[in-house]
Amino acid sequence: MKETSNKYLIAALLLGLAFHGSAIFFTLETTYDALIHLFFADHYANSWFEPWNYEWYTGFTVQSYPPLVHQSIALLSMIGGLKFGMFSVALIAIVLFITGAYRFSLLMTGNKTVAGYAALLAVFSSSFVETLHIFGQLPSIVGVSVLMHALPEIYLWLKTGKKWYLATSLSLIAVTVTSHHVTPIFGMVFFIFPLIGMVIMDVSRAQVNSMKEVTFKLFLNSFFKLFKRIVSFGMLSLVLIIGCIFPYWLNSKANPITQVPIPHGSRDNFLEITSSGLVFFLIPWGILLVLLPYIFYRYYSKRYLFFGLSVTICTILGTGGTTPIPLKILGETAFNILTLDRFTLWASILSIPLMGEFTYRFVEGDLKELIQSKFGAVYHRIIGGILAGLAVFMVVFTMSLNYFRPSQPQKIKMLPIVNFLNQDDHDKWRFLTLGFGDQMAWLSAQTNAMTVDGNYHSARRLPELTTRPIERLENSKFKGVAGIGSLQQFLTTPEKYNLKYIFSNDKFYDPILYFCGWQRLRQLENGIMVWERLNIPPVSSILPKEDVAKWLKIHWGIVPFLTVLIAFVLNIQMLWVNMLKTRFKPIPDFLKYSVSYHKFNRNVLRVTHIWSVFLAIILCYGLYLFYLKNDSQRSPENAIIAYYDALDFKEFEKAHQLIDPNSNLPIAQYMLEISVTDGLLSSYAKMDAIETEITQLNDSTASAKVTTQWITPLEKIEKIDYKTLSKHRKKWYLHPDDLNNDLPPDQLYSANATKYFNQGRRRITTEQTHHEDILKQPVLEVVSAKLVQYDGHYAIIGEVQNIDNVPADVILKGTLYNDDNKELATYNAKYHMKHKLMPKESTSFRINFEGIAWSKTQDSIPDTFNPDEFTPVEFEEQPTKFNLQAAGNVSGSDLYKSVVLSAINIKDKTISGNLFNSGIQEITIPQLLITYYDEQKNMLWVDHAFVKEGVRQQRKQDFEYPMLHAGKVTLINDDMTNIFVNGLPNAAIAGKIVPNRIDNHTTSQLQKIEHPNFSYIKIEINTYIGSPN
Amino acid sequence: MPFKHTYLFLLGLILLSSFSVVQYSETTQPIQLITTQTDYNVGDSVVLKFSTSEGEHPLLYCSNSYGSTLLTGELNANILQYKIPENISKKRGAVSWKLLDKTMSLSGTFTMNPKAEVATMETYIGPPSIEAGGTDYTMLVVIPTDSLDNPVPTNTLVNAKHQFLASEETTDIFTKNLIAYKNIYSKQESGRMLVSSESLGINSKEFTINVSAAIPTDFTISATRPHAYADGNQITTFSTSIIKDKQNNVVSDGTYVTFFITNQKQNILKTTGTTIDGIAQAKIIHPDYKDAWTVKAYVDGMAESESIALQYKSVIEDYNVKFSEQNRSITVGPLQSFMGQMIPDGLHVKLHIYKTNKHIETLTKTSFNGYVNFNLKPAIYSNGNYNFSIETAGITKQFNTKKLW
Repeated sequence: MKETSNKYLIAALLLGLAFHGSAIFFTLETTYDALIHLFFADHYANSWFEPWNYEWYTGFTVQSYPPLVHQSIALLSMIGGLKFGMFSVALIAIVLFITGAYRFSLLMTGNKTVAGYAALLAVFSSSFVETLHIFGQLPSIVGVSVLMHALPEIYLWLKTGKKWYLATSLSLIAVTVTSHHVTPIFGMVFFIFPLIGMVIMDVSRAQVNSMKEVTFKLFLNSFFKLFKRIVSFGMLSLVLIIGCIFPYWLNSKANPITQVPIPHGSRDNFLEITSSGLVFFLIPWGILLVLLPYIFYRYYSKRYLFFGLSVTICTILGTGGTTPIPLKILGETAFNILTLDRFTLWASILSIPLMGEFTYRFVEGDLKELIQSKFGAVYHRIIGGILAGLAVFMVVFTMSLNYFRPSQPQKIKMLPIVNFLNQDDHDKWRFLTLGFGDQMAWLSAQTNAMTVDGNYHSARRLPELTTRPIERLENSKFKGVAGIGSLQQFLTTPEKYNLKYIFSNDKFYDPILYFCGWQRLRQLENGIMVWERLNIPPVSSILPKEDVAKWLKIHWGIVPFLTVLIAFVLNIQMLWVNMLKTRFKPIPDFLKYSVSYHKFNRNVLRVTHIWSVFLAIILCYGLYLFYLKNDSQRSPENAIIAYYDALDFKEFEKAHQLIDPNSNLPIAQYMLEISVTDGLLSSYAKMDAIETEITQLNDSTASAKVTTQWITPLEKIEKIDYKTLSKHRKKWYLHPDDLNNDLPPDQLYSANATKYFNQGRRRITTEQTHHEDILKQPVLEVVSAKLVQYDGHYAIIGEVQNIDNVPADVILKGTLYNDDNKELATYNAKYHMKHKLMPKESTSFRINFEGIAWSKTQDSIPDTFNPDEFTPVEFEEQPTKFNLQAAGNVSGSDLYKSVVLSAINIKDKTISGNLFNSGIQEITIPQLLITYYDEQKNMLWVDHAFVKEGVRQQRKQDFEYPMLHAGKVTLINDDMTNIFVNGLPNAAIAGKIVPNRIDNHTTSQLQKIEHPNFSYIKIEINTYIGSPN
Repeated sequence: MPFKHTYLFLLGLILLSSFSVVQYSETTQPIQLITTQTDYNVGDSVVLKFSTSEGEHPLLYCSNSYGSTLLTGELNANILQYKIPENISKKRGAVSWKLLDKTMSLSGTFTMNPKAEVATMETYIGPPSIEAGGTDYTMLVVIPTDSLDNPVPTNTLVNAKHQFLASEETTDIFTKNLIAYKNIYSKQESGRMLVSSESLGINSKEFTINVSAAIPTDFTISATRPHAYADGNQITTFSTSIIKDKQNNVVSDGTYVTFFITNQKQNILKTTGTTIDGIAQAKIIHPDYKDAWTVKAYVDGMAESESIALQYKSVIEDYNVKFSEQNRSITVGPLQSFMGQMIPDGLHVKLHIYKTNKHIETLTKTSFNGYVNFNLKPAIYSNGNYNFSIETAGITKQFNTKKLW
């Protein structure tokens, strides 16, 4: 018998390569995972056999992910660079997937035309499109494709018992394992077990005349007959699964994933969080949703019974948190580690053969006849058009999802950053990126510099990271307050991690950087702002690593490619035969079990119709709900929510459309009013929650109390607004707010200020900086310092002054000891000080001792975490002594001091007052430092408050600060002997410059307050300038 | 019997010892050092010669402060010669050697002396900035080195020179322990000091030391303002006199001065300034009510000024309050300033709202064109009787039991 080429398969391959092959160049780099794989590939390209990578997370091992795809990219990168390697591997993955889908469908249906249809449809299967173009999960695609290739071989081994098929099937399983570890394990359950069931069915069927005669007894007999083959295959593949990536399993055992689970959209309730439902349910299922009745009908026929079970389980597990069933089936641990969208992916892949079958029957088979005879040819064509249209829509929609809802920030040009890191030994320190998205992996692949962050969260090692449900520090703002809290720890004690440079692509983080003592260096030509922190030691040249045995390294470097080579040698002959028909080959056994499509079940058609109508109704209802929710002026609540949303996303035109047209507020005026307001709330806040309470409502007007929760990088803010709305022509509008009419006295005015510039190196040289160019560290004096306890927290408070003649950047580091001089805790001063001091300027300070938050009881993570809150260190012993290290470095930046406390009023434990900006810069975030004193004017405590609004030039801004609650401050130690400035004893060095200090000089100027525990306060003001000019 | 055994044992021992004494001894000429010179100049060729009768070639272990090496000798007519390599003979200092012979060890030292010439001047100075007053100093360290980069001999003369203002000084210092150093103390004045050094005709490059002023001493302050009215809009500027240290040097630019203002309510306000040429200026907005200020400036812990007093005259004597629209609209104004002009926009007007003598809320608005209008929304303020008090420019007006409906 002469075989003809399968034109459908060839068409599918050509179409697939043309469509996906050209699209990947626009999509792959903006996917979630592709750049991570690129980073791993870069690692292998540089050190194939050394699994330890220093660049991420202060070091991790790449043996934590199966290496085949990464090593393939690395190998191909030798020819044309990393991206060439990645695109080549992606092209290979596309070919593997299409051919795999064909072979799997051929195995299932035994009909080449049907398999051809299936291959064609697989090209446009929305789950594949999503996995490749949105998630970029190359290893997963390669793994599942090779698994599909393995299935016919497994079938043939079980059926015929020819050892050749055992070899080919095992070789393909090995390739699957080395490309993705989860695929073969679950593939065993969801693909291979049902396949074994099908083989037994087929063997039983061969013994009788019809499928109906296959009884359970017969099935059991056949099972025992095949038992040896099944067990031998099972055992051998288990050996391969363990053996091929043995170092991976060893590493998982040595470093078990003991982290707080990171939330994943696939675990959400899809009905509540519709975006997750879209991405993890609707898109992967796509057109298959319509065919569900057919798929279940076919898969629950006797032969496919086990596939039916498998597809059902996958479907149910894929629904994530929508139903409680997945949680119950998988258990707490597995549910929180696995990403459940995989199950949907597998369900959709399992459905590919039947999709092909359905299409075949619809296009040229019995279904066409049935429909045409029952409803007429036109109806058939219309239905065909609708289905094809739906399929095309799903593909287009999925492909363009990233366009409408970008999952990544704009593409960042990395070259300026790479150049910056290569300059001047900048790569001797660790860096951190903020707001880069997954592009941080691409930066890491291009530089040798190390980062404290990373993009493969299973490999995180620092407890500061593993105890938080955040993937990366980089995008911590999206992880709410837990993320910001984690980031703060890195920013406050960066010397612990040798972290000196931060590349910020997101203005949101600027205030937290400033108030943690960082300073802006410059903006690179790609718009990335570089922040630096002074007084950070470089990374030591020898870094710790967890070494593994040499044979494990060699195993890891050689085995993956060996599996490919063996699989290639064993299977290429088969492929050659199958694809190119070079010589005659006996028909594989599974082709004998094809079904003849002569009579389509009417009931299935009926159910499919009902199901489609049902789906259509759900869709329409969903759209209606969507419309109701988004029709911004339907109800006062909608109008308010829409207004705040528009403000949150800075869509001022949309916000203006919601303003009462009767108020005659032109958009130009509105924009002007909005644009002049700067500050923590208007420039750096992200709305977290909004609650609207309609206090009064009638036909035409409404009043509402709007409580909004905002997350800012510094603290969580609750704001209560009262809004009035009115209704015109069935639409609700908001009344505009009143303006601050403050008119400054001057149109043009001047200010003189001392500015500083530090040359760095006066001569351009690659040598170390000349010693005569190294500036003297400014001399500081710790005027007072004491260890106190208040409200259960230990803190070092005091006052430090820059007694030198140059401006200083001040870093304070406190250490607590017990009576036996055992070190208990170390931390730096964070917000509670002015980090930049002019000559002779002093600042109060407080050093909190923060522990690694929630490291002890993982279940006690508060639901609502305040970034301003901190976890005090739990002391096992009583701290009794302290050591304080002050380090000064010359700094010329952020020295704006023109802020005035122009009015103050103390009433009922609340201090209110005005800040006045007398200079020429707009103050974005003013911070108040409030020092509390007792009756004898002894310092007791230091508190802080951020003023939510900025202060414009020559304008006033009022503030309100509630005083501390009553509570006694216990003085533990005020011995100042262990205080050091730039490494020298404080008393000695201060005595040289200020021999006759006037003690308690300004205590006569303290503000008297009425408070049970405190008698006086002092207010100092620190300012953050968002855009200095 | 035991005695017999003891004698036998002793006899045996004596017998045995007679064998051991017999040793074969050969008299050979031991290796001996011929070279007598122990002092060389760097760069000289140094050869250690030994006399020997054997054909032995022991290695010579040779070490100086830079490191150690092993040398093979050359045997020439019973004279063993070891040529010390250049990397040792070019460096000054003691060189110790040891002949690694099997039987006997011979060792010694010789000294390489530096050349009495200067090729380069290695100079260090620090700290680069010091304080005027004569107590702070910077340290100049000079290491004159010869052409082979060896520090010159001890007691080589180095002239340490520095210029400061009109004076140019030269001091003779001598090298000791390889270096010559001098502590240069600051003078009474601040300024820039240039330092260099010279030795045997070779000069170093120029170094700069900044001598900055010492800590400030007490000063005086003054205030300037466009008018003395408390209009809440104009700006008063405080200035210090030229702040100087005790040596009469003007303090460094940027010195931070805090002005504390105590008002009539004994509340403490504060503004700050940094000095330029010794004068710090600080601004503050006028109060919006009649007030008397006492102002005193401080450089924390170091210096202060006398306090000065400032009076602000009331700008608004009285104003009208009008209730309309079911008393829900309250218009305050006209707010007129000292010449009868409308007060500049932005004057704060506070409306305290009380219901049944309980404070509910305080609304703050800013004036616009001399008026402020409060609208009490029915949604927030239900119908009923309220007490209001309006506060602006230090004048409070009370309105009791106003009915809202």
